[in-house]
Amino acid sequence: MAKPTEFEISVRSEDPKKKKEKPEDAEKDKEEGSSKLLKDVKAKDGKEEDGEDLSEEDLQLKNELEMLVERLKEPNTELYRPALETLRTLIRTSTSSMTSVPKPLKFLRPHYPDLQALYETWPISEEKSLFADILSVLAMTYSDTQPRGTLRYRLLSASLRPADSPLADPGTWGHEYVRHLAAELGDEYTIREQEDVNAEVPATEDSAEKVPEVKLPGTVEDLRALGKQCAVFLLGHNAEPDAVDLMEELEIVEEIAQLVDENTYGRVCQYMIRCVNLLPPPDDISFLRTAHTIYVQHQKFPEALALAIRLGSPDLIREDFNAPGNPLMKRQLAFLLARAQIPLEWLHPQTEDADGDAETDVEEFPEDLLECLSNSRLSTHFREFGKELGVAEAKSLEDVYKSHLENTRSGATSNVDSARGNLAGTFVNAFVNAGFGNDKLMVEADEGNSWIYKNKDHGMMSAAASLGLSLLWDTDVGLSHVDKYTYSAEEHIKAGALLATGILNTGVRTEADAALALLGEFTENKSVPLKTSAIMGLGLAYAGSHREDLLASLLPHVADDTVSMEISSLAALALGFIFVGSENGEVTGAILQTLMDKFDRDDKSLDEKWARFMALGLGLIYLGLQDSSDATIETLKAIDHPISKTAQILVEACSFAGTGNVLKVQAMLHHCDEHIDTTGADKDKDKAKDGKEKEETKDEKRDDTFQSFAVLAVALIAMGEDIGAEMSLRQFNHLMHYGEPVIRKAVPLAIGLVSTSNPQLPILDTLSKYSHDNDLAVALNAIFAMGLVGAGTNNARLAQMLRQLAGYYYKEPDCLFMVRIAQGLVHMGKGTIGLNPFFSDRSIMSRPAVAGLLATITAFTDAKGFVLDKYHWMLYFLVTAMYPRFLITLDEELNNIPVTVRVGQAVDVVGQAGKPRTISGFQTHQTPVRLGTTDRSELATEEYIPFAHVLEGFVILQKNPGWEKEDKMEV
Amino acid sequence: MGNTPSNPPPEGGADKDKKDQQPQKKKWEPPLPTRVGKKKRRGPSSASKLPAVYPTTRCRLKLLKMERIKDYLLLEEEFVQNQERLKPEATREEKNEEDRSRVDDLRGSPMAVGTMEEIIDDDHAIISTSSGPESYVSIMSYVDKDLLEPGCQVLLHHKTQSIVGVLHDDADPLVSIMKLDKAPTESYADIGGLEQQIQEIKESVELPLTHPELYEEMGIKPPKGVILYGVPGTGKTLLAKAVANQTSATFLRVVGSELIQKYLGDGPKLVREMFRVAEEHAPSIVFIDEIDAIGTKRYDSTSGGEREIQRTMLELLNQLDGFDTRGDVKVIMATNRIESLDPALIRPGRIDRKIEFPLPDVKTKRHIFRYAASFVKTRFLISIIYRLHTSRMSLSDDVDLEEFVTTKDDLSGADIKAVCTEAGLLALRERRMRVTKADFTTAREKVGSVFETLQTFAHVSVGTVSEERGHARRSLLVVCISQLPCFLLSSSLNSSLCTILAVILAYVGKIEFTL
Repeated sequence: MAKPTEFEISVRSEDPKKKKEKPEDAEKDKEEGSSKLLKDVKAKDGKEEDGEDLSEEDLQLKNELEMLVERLKEPNTELYRPALETLRTLIRTSTSSMTSVPKPLKFLRPHYPDLQALYETWPISEEKSLFADILSVLAMTYSDTQPRGTLRYRLLSASLRPADSPLADPGTWGHEYVRHLAAELGDEYTIREQEDVNAEVPATEDSAEKVPEVKLPGTVEDLRALGKQCAVFLLGHNAEPDAVDLMEELEIVEEIAQLVDENTYGRVCQYMIRCVNLLPPPDDISFLRTAHTIYVQHQKFPEALALAIRLGSPDLIREDFNAPGNPLMKRQLAFLLARAQIPLEWLHPQTEDADGDAETDVEEFPEDLLECLSNSRLSTHFREFGKELGVAEAKSLEDVYKSHLENTRSGATSNVDSARGNLAGTFVNAFVNAGFGNDKLMVEADEGNSWIYKNKDHGMMSAAASLGLSLLWDTDVGLSHVDKYTYSAEEHIKAGALLATGILNTGVRTEADAALALLGEFTENKSVPLKTSAIMGLGLAYAGSHREDLLASLLPHVADDTVSMEISSLAALALGFIFVGSENGEVTGAILQTLMDKFDRDDKSLDEKWARFMALGLGLIYLGLQDSSDATIETLKAIDHPISKTAQILVEACSFAGTGNVLKVQAMLHHCDEHIDTTGADKDKDKAKDGKEKEETKDEKRDDTFQSFAVLAVALIAMGEDIGAEMSLRQFNHLMHYGEPVIRKAVPLAIGLVSTSNPQLPILDTLSKYSHDNDLAVALNAIFAMGLVGAGTNNARLAQMLRQLAGYYYKEPDCLFMVRIAQGLVHMGKGTIGLNPFFSDRSIMSRPAVAGLLATITAFTDAKGFVLDKYHWMLYFLVTAMYPRFLITLDEELNNIPVTVRVGQAVDVVGQAGKPRTISGFQTHQTPVRLGTTDRSELATEEYIPFAHVLEGFVILQKNPGWEKEDKMEV
Repeated sequence: MGNTPSNPPPEGGADKDKKDQQPQKKKWEPPLPTRVGKKKRRGPSSASKLPAVYPTTRCRLKLLKMERIKDYLLLEEEFVQNQERLKPEATREEKNEEDRSRVDDLRGSPMAVGTMEEIIDDDHAIISTSSGPESYVSIMSYVDKDLLEPGCQVLLHHKTQSIVGVLHDDADPLVSIMKLDKAPTESYADIGGLEQQIQEIKESVELPLTHPELYEEMGIKPPKGVILYGVPGTGKTLLAKAVANQTSATFLRVVGSELIQKYLGDGPKLVREMFRVAEEHAPSIVFIDEIDAIGTKRYDSTSGGEREIQRTMLELLNQLDGFDTRGDVKVIMATNRIESLDPALIRPGRIDRKIEFPLPDVKTKRHIFRYAASFVKTRFLISIIYRLHTSRMSLSDDVDLEEFVTTKDDLSGADIKAVCTEAGLLALRERRMRVTKADFTTAREKVGSVFETLQTFAHVSVGTVSEERGHARRSLLVVCISQLPCFLLSSSLNSSLCTILAVILAYVGKIEFTL
């Protein structure tokens, strides 16, 4: 009989893990409540209690149970086994219900303490094991007073069991038992972990509880074995998230790979992948690796390869790429690799010692595969896609500006200098007609009539370079177009042509290696424009290629102290582009060395605006590599110069780009709030003593550039993870509110970075507000950010906002210039080319794309010094991020085949039971089709089976052999 | 831009100029529909809204996401605190002050109050004032356009009449009425008996929200909702309250009669809104009490009101099993008269489970007696007898509850509670500290006569509303009457009222009625 005190136990609030047990608690409550009443009403007579509320059969059950318990208490050991067996059957037959406490448990609950005592007295035997098993189930009802009782008896039972008899599957006791066990396993494991940590100082309470645990042979291994059993059960019952959670808690998530089967692996992997961004560092990699193993196990190579790319591991990529035998699958993988711009060298076996070997391997790839790998058909496909969508026709500037809709005051004719207007026109034309190779101003124009000659000086450079954008990816025809300008006498045109050569080779590889051949020699040229554009051309053309042979032509410029800071910084940046995320020691060493040398020499060049690009170049080397940049950051700390701080921030931000690491975000925010007083004061002082005391002014000025990079860093880290991205917008709001001008200036850029090519109304509203800011620098950046956010979307609302801004700023040439650029960006590729660096269902970050975006944005941290000055060509950095947002379906011969697909908003279905729709509000289209940033597509017919797991970019289809045409059946 | 109303729409002029220059192409583009001024979805404003977290089921991923949000909020807090420390509000105050005074200048004074009729575009709207006609005015740029919606009160500049501010109240009538902020105190433990019913409702309402995977495993779709029916006082509402108490899901409750509105179309709209709110706050449970108020069988009716009620029901039908899928929204309905409900409403697929609440059996009666007895307290003589939970009824020795329990009367749970309360009150009247058997017997008799009392009351209330034919009142009546087991028409009613009553009564199926 339960003691009265037992009933007074209040049900404490449980942690969320145990939420599922709440109904039980309620039941318990009820039981307590009613029996409490009863006791009081018939206070004296305890016996009467039994008769309460019981129907006939309940009573019978109760009596039977009590009889069994009595039998266990008797000395007759013969009867133990049958009694226990009956008990077990009785309990098992009734644990099926999820919604109420099984009756036997309810009735046996009062006997639990007795049984516990009884248990201790038994000798070790098989019966005892059985007994422990039953006690383990009963312990569920006592989970509030004796935590982890279920687990304890479960382990005892396991240990007592003779080796030959298999351990009963916990699943036979029902769902609730397994969940209970799982929860307790997690608790127990954490407790043991903690104990290990402070083994020497056992807390009194804990040890009291732990005494029985310590005694029993329940090692961590046992816990894990049990955990695996539970996980198997959970996996078998559609509770994949629970299984993963349990394994994660026991820190054996790697082993789930052995447990999953054909039906569960997909959901397990999806769930795990979705967790990655939210997990602390060591776990996220292990999750990715585990998911990768599972995919490989199940021959899902595209998925596996996507994860390998995410991991950035050449070995895994090579293995995955070489694993499938199906040539079509190989091609599909090649498309994925080409999209990610993975260096070809990674695919060859790493037998560096034998050079001959490597070369033969190069030959190994068949022609068609190489074609897919090097993206060489991108241009043709893109143009066909344009035709299909009816946007192949070149657009004029007026088509983009739509100035007749602008809200200009009549009579107030624009007094904007036409040079600025024409320059803006250059960019707009380039961005809008990018890739189609048929724009009216440059490509199609007659020789003497080209738009180039409507520009002056440095404008000509950008104009000539725009040719590259217009002929983007078209390595055959493009080069011949550009070629004629490379012989121009005008230095700027020539420089532009060099840049154009680099631009049009971005993202595609050719056997001829035209870019290197054409540009290589100019890196040694005397003329600064030629030299810089050749360097940057190389940087763009080979972004992400990790080509060692380019080191020779670029590295000397970084270290060379005879050249200007401009050249060495740009060379560093170009190296950053090429070796993005490679952790290349040579480049790092050179840049660090240069920085240190310059500092030692007390070189003023470190104070130049260009220094930031050198820092950026260093940062890009570590893009996405997380902790591996530690040493570099430490080295940078040794340099006592403001640029060091900027560089530290950049390197750190780059290494954690797209990870959503909150701690790093916090660190960055700390950068933003420190020195706020001094910078504030400095700013005032700056203005006050403009001319004199230059030294001091500079000293104070030092402090604040890093802050704008810290703001960008927040965006860089938070992007790619939905929740972080959304929450970071709130941070920006605060930064805007409290920040100094230098921070405020960077905020719109950061917003643009976080939601590139993803124009969402709240963001547009915010940016629209900032674009009317009193501080013109803020407004300018906000306008550019509007362009980024809307890049390649043709967003009508954004276009309207920009037109309105064009009217608003008709007297501000700088702002108007930027409005035009933004308009060009919004209509980029006539709405077919986006800038979002994430692809494959927004899961993989394209490193070259981030590099391009970051470089452009860096230029805007000092817009007056770069973009609005002579270096507007820096806008072309965006080219590495430009990629058509299309879905093209190809048949087995890689020809287009039109298929119907459904395109709709992506819905997050991870962790949901069943097979919910992955898209909402879909429309059915024929491929090729354009996809928005947050769109997702699925095939509308069963006629084909896609090779890719995400319908995006190039997808190879294969006829479904089991498909029957429905129409036929009707006929 | 274009803040002054006198500024003529400039597009025309500019357009013409341009046209002259290049007449070949100038496609007219329709202006974008303005985004402001729509009836907005209620809810937290976008600025303060936190990102939605999927999946909604309990798992580590959800925990991690929530933690991530929390981390960011902590960061925010830290940042703001640091900023406040480094640069207190006071310094910024001056600047704000300046801005504010400038806005005040622009706003001018005195101001007039008008009503927003319609929004034309981002900067212009039509307003009406009490004094005169409607006018086309501009909206000042600093007005928070998110607050503007048709029908709201706006502040107008005294001369130009341009909109300079919005007057708004925070009341959110719909959600706040229906949404249950505070969970009721009744829990499953407070329900006597009804084990079967509790289990059924748990299976069809709670479990799908907490463990969807089990249904998936079984390969079935969880029920969309349940209907609870049974004679009055058998605990339907109590069970619903218990569900609300138990679940962490959003609980919306509404009474059928609330859905009958004065204007055409308002009722169906309310239903739509309700389900929209439910979906927005999913997972959620919608509880519609007294569903017979709108859910009775359809029949040809000439009365507009009738048809409106039927339309309301049709909307409900659509929401239950319409084209749009409702995710984690479960519906609980309660009625006394399931036989009068439209078959379409309770067909499987809409309401899959019908849970009957029978009159309590002996066991349940005993439980209720005990329970109710525990709620009545005799020690404190004054006030709020019903709410005392801490002590039990002190019964004198001669009271044998069994006797009452086993009587053959058709007592509902509510009746039993009433008996106990009544007995307690009787004891109280005589300042006794114990409730005797005599008290119970008297109470029992008294409660037995309650029906007659109710009938009398109904007569009276019909008399008082005789001239009142408003929909609202009538719907009230429907509910009122539907509570009565039977009803006799009094001859004193005038003929028009008789018609109404006849309709109502036929409607609720109380009696066969012929005129």
